[in-house]
Amino acid sequence: MKRLVSLLFIGALALLLLYVVSRMPPMGEPDNPTATRVVPRYLEKAEDETHTPNVVTGIILNYRGFDTMGEVTVIYCALAAVLAVLGRERRGRIRDYVELSGLPSSVIVRTMVALVVPFILLFSLYTIFHGETSPGGGFQGGAVIGASMIIFTTIYGLHLSSVKVPQRFRSPLEGSAVITFFLVGVLGFFGGGNFLTYAWPRVSEGLHPALVTWLTVLVEVGIGLGGAMVLISILFAMVREEGADEPLA
Amino acid sequence: MSGAFKHLPIMMITLPMLGAALMPFVSYLRREAVPWVSALFLVVSGVLGLLLAGRIPPDGCVGYRLGGWEPPFGIELKVDFAGYFLMMVVCGISLLALLYSRLYIIREVEGGKITAYYVLFLLLSASMMGFVVTGDIFNLFVFMEILAISSYALVAVTGNRNAVRAAFKYLLMGAPSSIMVLLGIGLLYSATGTLNMADLAARVGETGYREVLIASFAVLVLAFMVKAAIFPLHLWLPDAHSIAPSPMSAMLSGLVVAVSAFAIARIAFSVFTVHSWGVVGTTLDALAAAGAAAVLFGGIMAIYQRDFKMMIAYSTISHMGYIVLGFTALNPEGLTGAVYHVLDHGIAKACLFLCAGNFIYRKGYRRIDQLKGAWREMPWTCFAFALAAWSVIGLPPSAGFISKWYLVYGNVKADRVPYAVVLLIGAILAAVYCFRIIYYMFFQPGEEGAWRDQVMDAPAGMLAPTWALSLATLFFGVFSYLFLDSLLKAAASLLA
Repeated sequence: MKRLVSLLFIGALALLLLYVVSRMPPMGEPDNPTATRVVPRYLEKAEDETHTPNVVTGIILNYRGFDTMGEVTVIYCALAAVLAVLGRERRGRIRDYVELSGLPSSVIVRTMVALVVPFILLFSLYTIFHGETSPGGGFQGGAVIGASMIIFTTIYGLHLSSVKVPQRFRSPLEGSAVITFFLVGVLGFFGGGNFLTYAWPRVSEGLHPALVTWLTVLVEVGIGLGGAMVLISILFAMVREEGADEPLA
Repeated sequence: MSGAFKHLPIMMITLPMLGAALMPFVSYLRREAVPWVSALFLVVSGVLGLLLAGRIPPDGCVGYRLGGWEPPFGIELKVDFAGYFLMMVVCGISLLALLYSRLYIIREVEGGKITAYYVLFLLLSASMMGFVVTGDIFNLFVFMEILAISSYALVAVTGNRNAVRAAFKYLLMGAPSSIMVLLGIGLLYSATGTLNMADLAARVGETGYREVLIASFAVLVLAFMVKAAIFPLHLWLPDAHSIAPSPMSAMLSGLVVAVSAFAIARIAFSVFTVHSWGVVGTTLDALAAAGAAAVLFGGIMAIYQRDFKMMIAYSTISHMGYIVLGFTALNPEGLTGAVYHVLDHGIAKACLFLCAGNFIYRKGYRRIDQLKGAWREMPWTCFAFALAAWSVIGLPPSAGFISKWYLVYGNVKADRVPYAVVLLIGAILAAVYCFRIIYYMFFQPGEEGAWRDQVMDAPAGMLAPTWALSLATLFFGVFSYLFLDSLLKAAASLLA
């Protein structure tokens, strides 16, 4: 009975929403509100105004930079949420599932991972630094770094990876996305602009084009580094949790 | 507003965010410093806010263009007096709850998680401050995400089974509501092509896609009803708010739900202009009915609770109904009452939860009948409770009286006498559940061995925030005239 009522309710809601979809502006029409209000300016002027050839980067880091600051805070908040529930891994020697299971992975897998991870890291750096001209950017690059550490940790175990990326290295960098955004934002005040104006040092005829580009790249680097550290810390917290029930010697 | 002062609101929002980002490093260097450094960031934020006093025109608002981009293209903060007022409320109550946490949290949260607790705490305060002053609807969503994620985690931070279950229930109701907010914003964007609230308000009237806009408003209201725990969608609140650590309950109950309720008012008045449109008004009427039901339901359920914190949580459901009934009256008096109610409900409810925290800290008592005779051992906590309860009921000269006066006045003025009667019945219900506890505390003999004869109250570091809040209920009652004129003007301009 309860299921039937829920089903009817959801069905009615779906019909209602489908009706609304049918009344929405037709997809892809050139005179839709979405295509006429803010988008033309972004497409036509983004490169001149934000000094980044990649329009998407121009929008997320410059026109709507504050939203992105909020989003990196959300990512950071996710880390804090995981740590609040699971706790951070302990400092010092960690016994993890690789040791506990007593099943070392094969030489082939270990060698392959050791060979591949540096290239993955190289690619992530390319993604981060080239994000203002081509698709990519800090979020993607950071995720790639995080993924490379996931591969590394699965094969070599938590202990070795926590030696490679120790807590004293991660803890100042976890918030680096938020911190970079804040610093670049405040820099705008000194150039006589507002928060996140990318305007310093002050140039009489407006913003300094190369400087805007470099500050954008700086923010990308901050996002990439912060995102990577957040992912790695979340990984470590979750891996430790997996071995937590096992008796520790 | 000129010079460096125009940057103050954005600094108020971003400084606690910066503090949160620095906290893991502070903790790595010196774990004992974390509470103090966190408090420092909120203090600086609050001082910057005080510098703004008198610089926000009551009948207008100060726009701040982030990145210097003009409104529809960039993000804009719109600091009107109501928003500024709520920002200060958030900052003040957060600071007191944070100071209270220092001693309390060591008991309930294991050592390694304490830093995460403070990080989430700072992010929660920062997001609420951004939430009330942003002038961009997508930015509102971003702040709502931070607010929601940090709230879920802070409910679960103690790590015991019930806390995790309550947090999961909160997450299960909260996550769909977050998605619905995004859906509502998406619909709105598809019909208008803009995200700036002022620009939306101008274009909502002239666009042809009426059905899309109606659906968008309905979805947004429904989503924020979950976040604000308004009656039929309140199911997550009692568990989450009663199981969270007490200073966190104070934040969740005092600020988080109230700020979410204010978001409905913000969307209704700053995005969809009420007067131009019948259907938005109908949705608001339905919301008012839900609010009236919440006042009665929350009040009656609170009377039947045996757990002290559970009772306060149900009282919160009742008071969210008050806020909704206030702004749906659609006149400046009602809206002023609602905004002032966010203040006094926040202060009083935070104080009640901190008192509950004092009892739990000292004695581990959570049941109401265990509080019989508490007066002998913990007189300071009991008196603070009585003062805050006075404001929850809404008796003069407390702040609760002022806001309830305006709420009733606004509803009578809007020819909604039944709702005004509901508000008064709500006050009677509040009197029943509050006076019962006051009677138990002061006039009932305690059980044998439950309380000592000698005074052993909570430590000063916990009593001071509790008393600061309970005295604030009196201060904002007696000196309400300092704020009410400006709030009335701000409310009138918000409704115009």
